[in-house]
Amino acid sequence: MRLLRLRVMDFAAIVKAEVDFGKGLNVLYGPNDLGKSTLAESIRSVLLLPHSSTFSEQYIPWRGGHQPIVEMTFETEAQRIWRVKKQFGKSGSSLLQESRNGIDFDDIAKGRSVDGKLREILRWGIPEPGGTGSGRGIPTSFLATALLSTQADVTAVLQESLQGDSAPSGKERIAAALQAVAQDPLFVSLLRATQARRDEAFTDKGMKKTARDSPFRMASERLKEIRDEKERLQALVDESESVEELLRELTDRRNVAEESLAVAGQRQVESERLATQAAELAGAAEDVRLARDEVARIQTLGSDVAGAEQSAADLAAKKEQAEQAVKNAQHRKVEADAALQAAQDAVVSASGDTATSATVARQRLELRRAAAEKAFSEAQQRKEAVQAAQKLVESAASADRTHSTQESEVQRTRASVAAAIEQQQRVEQQLRTLDVLERALEARGADQQVAIAQAAVDKATALRTRFDSVAAERDGLQARRESLKVPTAETLTGMRRLATDLAKARGALDVGLLVTITPHRPLDIRVQKDNAPSESESGEQVVEIEAKTHVELDLADVATVRVTGGRRDAQRTAQALNERWREEVMPHLAAASATDLDELDAKVREATELDSSIQAKEAARRSLKEQLESLSGSDDALRAASDRQRTGHAALGMPLDTLTDDLHRLGRDPSATLRKQRDQARGALEAARRADSEEGTAHTLAEERSRSSRATLEAAISARDEALQSFPEGLPIAFADVQAALGLATEEQQRVTRELASLDSSIAAEQARIDGALSDARKKADVARSQVEAAQEQLTNAITKHASETGRLNELRRLRDAEDLVAAENRLRTASERHGTMPVPERLVSDADITAAREAVVRANSHLDMIEREIQKAHGALEQVGGAVARERLRDVIEAYELAERHEREIEADYEAWKLLLEQMKDADAAQASNLGQALAPAIANRFEALTARRYENVRLTAQLGTEGVVAGGAVRPAECLSVGTREQLSTLYRLSLAEYLGTTVVLDDQLVQSDEKRMDWFRALLVDKARNFQIVVFTCRPEDYLSQAAMVAPGTSPNRDTDDGFVRSIDLSGAVQRR
Amino acid sequence: VLRLLHTADWHLGRRFPSFPEDAQKKLSRARLDAVGRILEVARRHGVNAVVCAGDLFDEPTPVADFWEGLAKTFNDYRGPQVPVFLVPGNHDPLTPESVWAAHHPFRSRLPSWVHVVDRDDFSHELMPDAVLYARPCRSKAGEIDLASALPAREPGDARIRIGCVHGCTFDIEGYQTNFPICRDAGVQRGMNYLAIGDTHSFRDVTANSPVPTVYPGAPEPTNFDEPDAGSVAVVALFRPGVRPRVNRESVAFWRWIDVRCRDLNELRGVLTKPDLERHVVRLHLDMAVSVGEESEVERILNDLQGSDAAHGRAGVLLIDRTNLRLQPGSAGVFPENLPPVIKDTIARLDRLIEDATDDGEKLKATRALAHLFKLLKTHEGVVGQPR
Repeated sequence: MRLLRLRVMDFAAIVKAEVDFGKGLNVLYGPNDLGKSTLAESIRSVLLLPHSSTFSEQYIPWRGGHQPIVEMTFETEAQRIWRVKKQFGKSGSSLLQESRNGIDFDDIAKGRSVDGKLREILRWGIPEPGGTGSGRGIPTSFLATALLSTQADVTAVLQESLQGDSAPSGKERIAAALQAVAQDPLFVSLLRATQARRDEAFTDKGMKKTARDSPFRMASERLKEIRDEKERLQALVDESESVEELLRELTDRRNVAEESLAVAGQRQVESERLATQAAELAGAAEDVRLARDEVARIQTLGSDVAGAEQSAADLAAKKEQAEQAVKNAQHRKVEADAALQAAQDAVVSASGDTATSATVARQRLELRRAAAEKAFSEAQQRKEAVQAAQKLVESAASADRTHSTQESEVQRTRASVAAAIEQQQRVEQQLRTLDVLERALEARGADQQVAIAQAAVDKATALRTRFDSVAAERDGLQARRESLKVPTAETLTGMRRLATDLAKARGALDVGLLVTITPHRPLDIRVQKDNAPSESESGEQVVEIEAKTHVELDLADVATVRVTGGRRDAQRTAQALNERWREEVMPHLAAASATDLDELDAKVREATELDSSIQAKEAARRSLKEQLESLSGSDDALRAASDRQRTGHAALGMPLDTLTDDLHRLGRDPSATLRKQRDQARGALEAARRADSEEGTAHTLAEERSRSSRATLEAAISARDEALQSFPEGLPIAFADVQAALGLATEEQQRVTRELASLDSSIAAEQARIDGALSDARKKADVARSQVEAAQEQLTNAITKHASETGRLNELRRLRDAEDLVAAENRLRTASERHGTMPVPERLVSDADITAAREAVVRANSHLDMIEREIQKAHGALEQVGGAVARERLRDVIEAYELAERHEREIEADYEAWKLLLEQMKDADAAQASNLGQALAPAIANRFEALTARRYENVRLTAQLGTEGVVAGGAVRPAECLSVGTREQLSTLYRLSLAEYLGTTVVLDDQLVQSDEKRMDWFRALLVDKARNFQIVVFTCRPEDYLSQAAMVAPGTSPNRDTDDGFVRSIDLSGAVQRR
Repeated sequence: VLRLLHTADWHLGRRFPSFPEDAQKKLSRARLDAVGRILEVARRHGVNAVVCAGDLFDEPTPVADFWEGLAKTFNDYRGPQVPVFLVPGNHDPLTPESVWAAHHPFRSRLPSWVHVVDRDDFSHELMPDAVLYARPCRSKAGEIDLASALPAREPGDARIRIGCVHGCTFDIEGYQTNFPICRDAGVQRGMNYLAIGDTHSFRDVTANSPVPTVYPGAPEPTNFDEPDAGSVAVVALFRPGVRPRVNRESVAFWRWIDVRCRDLNELRGVLTKPDLERHVVRLHLDMAVSVGEESEVERILNDLQGSDAAHGRAGVLLIDRTNLRLQPGSAGVFPENLPPVIKDTIARLDRLIEDATDDGEKLKATRALAHLFKLLKTHEGVVGQPR
C-alpha cells in the first residue's frame, strides 16, 4: 500500500489541505499548531472511521459550518488505485472508487459498504462495521496501531499484539508476509512443484477443473469416447447376435416349413390319386347303369305298345258316349231358352204402368219440396236481416258510449295543457327576475373592481415615487464607491503579510552601522544615511557616521562608498520583498490615495461598507421595481373595470338602488344563491315544458280519438237507420214473424220427404218381384247352355285323347321295331365285367378334401417363402452389422475401456493425493510460520542492536507479536524498563520492520521527539535507506531531524521538494494547509 | 513343383484403442511394414504366386494412408513380379464402396501383377497345369461356404487346383455367419490346396487330409492371445496325389507378451529381457511396495516406457497397476536431514494414514507421501546432505 494524495476540507481546525505524497520517505513539516496531527488524524479517520460515526463530531470545524471532508487516494498494487472520500456527519456520505491509471475512477462502493470494502482491502484485522467489537471511536487493531499510531501514544505498538484483534485478517496478512520471507528454499521449491501438479487438476477453490486441458477432463473424455465406441459396437454385436439368433430360429422354422410342405404335397398327391381311382370306378359303374337302363328301356317299349293299343280302344268308346251327351244337353237348352223369353215378355208388360204412376207422384212431391225449401230460405234471409239490424242498433249505441268517453278525455287534457303553460310562464318570469338580479350583481361587482383598480393605481404612483428616490440614493453611493480604488480584503491580508515579511527583512538589515572616515587630506564628503537627505562634510577631521541600515559616502571625486546592513541573502530577501511591495502594494496605495496600509485598510472598510449600502439600496430598488412591475397593469385594469361598470349598469337598465332589498335577500353569497335559484328555476321550467309537451301530446291524441269515435258513431247510426227502414213494424215483431215462417217451411219439407220415401219403397218392391221371376228364367237358360258346352267339351277331349293315343301307339310301334335288345344286353354284360375288375379306393376323397390338400400345399409354400425372405432380410442385416467383425472390434474396445476406466481412477487418485500433499504442506508451513514473533524479531533485534551499539542483545516477541521485552545481560527486560527515548526508538523500529515486511505505508507522527542527535542521524540514514522499499510518512515540527538542509523546501516555492531520486519528499505544510 | 506363399489377415489400418497414441501408431505402421517382409520371403523362396486370403484391410474403406501405403509397397517392390492375389475377407468385403471396387483409386495404383479377386468365378492359370480358384467375401457376415462354392474338379481335369477363400472352419453349433468352411471342402471340390484366412494364428485344420487347408495367421499379431501369429505359409505343390508340403515362415517384427511381476526383483528382471524393443509388453504389477520402492517401480517403468526425451527399453509397454499395492506410511524411507516443515508434512500424512477409517483415505495419504518422496528424489543432492 502506498498513499498518493490527501485532500482535507473543513476538518477540525483545517479549512483546506492538499498533500501529494512521494513514493518513499515523506517528511511533512510545519510549526506547532499548524494541524499536522489533525492531518494524521484525517488519514486515520478516512481509512477507518465510518462517516456517520458520532465520533466524527469532533472533526466539525470549531466555528461550525461545513461538514468535514477527507479524500484519500492510495495504491495497493500496480494499477490498483483506490480513492476514498468521506463527508463526516449524520447526513454525510462515503464513496470508494477504483482506477487503473489514477485518472479514470469507477465507483466500487457507496455509503456504509465503503468501510467493509476498505477493511477488506487493508486486511488490518478490523472486522466489518456493525459486527462485534465495533465501538465508538476509530476502530483499532494491532496493525492499525503499528501503521498509524498517534502522536499521543508513540509506543502503543509495544503494548499490543495480534491477540486483541477482532478479525483474523491482520494476522493472516502478517503471517503470509512473514511466511514468504521465512520459508525454506527446498520447501518452497517442493511447494511450488506440488502446487503446480495440484493446479493441473483443481481450481483455486479446490474444485475439479473442467477445462479442456484438465487431466480429469482428458481422462473422462477418453473414457467417454471409448465408452461411446464400446456402446456402438456392443449395439452392433447385440444386433448381430440377435440377428444370428433370429437366423438360427428362422433356419429351424425353415426346416419345419419345408417338412410341412413335403407332407402337404404328399397329402395332395395321395388325395388326387384316390380321387382319380374313385372317379374311374364311378365312371365304370355309370357305364353299367347306362347299359342296364338301355336294356330296360327296350323291354319297356314292348309293354308300352300293348298298353297303348288297349288305351286307344277305351278312348274310342268314350268318344261315342260324349257325342250322345251333347245331343241330350242341346235339347234341354232349347227348352230353357223358350222359358226365358216368356219371362222377359211378362216383365216388359208389368213395368210400363208402374213407372208412369210413380213418376207423376214423384214430380208432385218434388214441386212441394222446392216450394217448402224456398219458403225456408226466404224466412232464413229475413231472420238474418233482422239480426243484422239488431247488431247495427247495438253497434251505434256502443259507438256513442265510446265517443262520450273520448270527449271527456279531450276536456281533461285541454285543462292539463293550460295548467302546464301557466306554470311555464310563471317560471320564465322568475328566471327573468333572476337575470335582472344577476346583472345587478355584475354591476355591483364592477363598482367594486373599479374601487380596487383605483387603489392599485394610487399605490403604483406612490411606489414609483419611492423607487426614484432609492435609485437616486444608490447612484450616489455607487459614485462614491467608484471613486474608491481599493483592493479586496484578501489582497489586503496578503499585503499585510508582505508588510510583515518586509518589516522582518528590513529588520534583518537593521544591524546598525558606524562608519568612521579618517581623511588623509582635506576631503569633501557627501553623506547620505538611511535614505535621509544627504549632508556634506569637508576638512581633514575624522567623521563618524552612525546609521541603521544604509550609508552612502561620496568621497569627492575619488569614490562612492555604499555600506548596507545585513547579509547578502537578507538583503536579497529584503530587495525581493521591496520589489514585491512596489509591484503589489504601491499601486494599490496610489490608487486609493492612501499613505499606508492602515489608511488603505480604512478605505477598504469604507468601500466594504459602501458595497453593503449599495447592495441594500439595490435590493430595495429591486424590491420596489418588482412591486411596480406587479402593478404595471393597474391603469389598464382601472380602465377595463370602468368599462365593465358602464356596461353592467347599462345592461341593468334601472338604478341599482331599486334592487338593494332583492340583492340583500340573496344573502352573503348572492352569486351562489342566485346560481342556486337559477338552477332551481331552470329545473322547474324544464319540468313545466316537459309537462306541457306531454299534456299537449295527450290532448292531441284525445282529440284525434274523439274525431275518430265521432265518425264511427255517425256511420253506425246511418247503417242502423237504413236497416230499420226495412222493418217498419219493429224488429221484435219482424223477428217473431220470421221465426213462424221458418217453422212452417220446415214442417212442409219434412212431410214431402216422408212422402217421397214411401213412394220409393213401393216402386222398389214391385221391381224386386219382376226381377226375381226374370232371374229364375235366366238361371235355367244358363244351366242348359252350360250343360251343352260341357258335353261338347267332353266330346272334344275324347276325340283329342283318342287321336293322341292312336299317334302314340304308332310311335311306340315304330320305336319298338327300331331297337336291338340283344345288342343292348351284350353291352350291359361288358360294362358289368369292366366295373368288376376296377380297384376300389381305400377311402373316399371328396373334392373339398383335394382342394384342402392343394390349399395346404400353397400355404406351406407361402410360409416357406416368407421364412426364406426373412432369412434373406436377416442375412442382409447381418452383412451390414458385421457379426464376427463387430465382436472382434468390441473385444478390443472393451479392453481399451477397462484400461481407460482404470486410468481415470488412477488419475483421480493421483491428483487427489497431490491435493492432499499440498494441503498438508501448507498446513505444516502455516504451523511453522504461526510463531510470527520468531520470524519478525530478528529484523527488529538486529537494528535495535545496531542502534544501541549492542547494548541490547535481542528483542523478544511473542507468537502473537506482543513485545515481551529486550534481552540485556542475558535477561529479558520489559520494554517499560527502557528510557522513553529508547522505547520510542524500539517502537519505531518495530513499526518500520512490520511495514517493510508488509510492504505498506507507515505513518510516524512526531515519533522520535525524545531521541538524541546521534540516534536521529542513525534513524535518518535508516529511513532514507528504507524509503526505497516502502513508503514512510513522517509528521514533524523539526524537519532537520529527518532532512538535510538541501532536501527542505525553499521558502516561497512549491510546498513539495523531491530529492534522492524522488525517494525523499519534503512537504512544507505551511503552504499545503490552510488553517482557521 | 509349384510354390506358393500363402498369407492372410494383414488387417492394415487396424487401430489399437487400448494403447497410448504413439504406441497405436507404432503398431499400425508395423502391419504395413510386414507386407514388405512378406514379399521378401516370397522372393527368397522363389514362389510362383502369392495368395492373400482375406482381411488384408481392417475395414472395407480404410484411410488413404493404408491403401496408398500398400500400393506403394507393391510398386516399390523390386523382386520378381510373381502374381499376387488379394482376396476380400469379411473385415474388408467386396462392396461397391470398398477399396476393392473397380473404380477405387487403389485399384488403379496397383501394378499389373497384383490381382484383386473381385468376381465370384475368379480363376487364374498359374501354370499350364495349375489353376487358382478364389471367391471374395461380399459382406461382413455370411452363411455361404465360399470354399464349397468353388468349382468342382471336372472329370479328366488333372491340373493342380488351388482354392483361396476367407472364412471360418470352426464347428460352431447353430447358424454360421462367419462364412463357414466345411473342413473337407478342399477334397470335395477336388482341390490340391485350400488357402484360407481368418484366424490370426497359424493352423493346418486338415492335418490328416490329403488336401491341406491352412490358416497362415496374421503376419503381425493383433493381440496378446495370438501366440502363433506372425507367420506366412510357404506351400510346395507336387504332382497330384502327393500331399503338398506347408512350411511356416515368421515375418513378424513385434512379439506380444504378458509379463507378471510379483516383486521388485522380477520387475528389474524385465529390463534384462533380450530384444525388449521388439516386444509389446503387457506388464501386470502384482506386488506390494513401500513409498520408496514405489519410486523405484516408477523409475523402472519410466525406463521401460521411455519419455519425451528418451526411448523406452520396451517397444510398447502397457502397464496394469490394478494389483500394485502401496504399503501405507512413510516407513522411514525419507532422509533425516529434511527441513522441519517437510518433516512436519510427512508426520501429518503419517497421522492421516494412522487415523484413516477407510482404505481410500489411507491410500490417498500414502500416495501423497509417494509424491513427496518422488519430488524429493528430483532434488537429490539437496536431500541427503546436511543443510
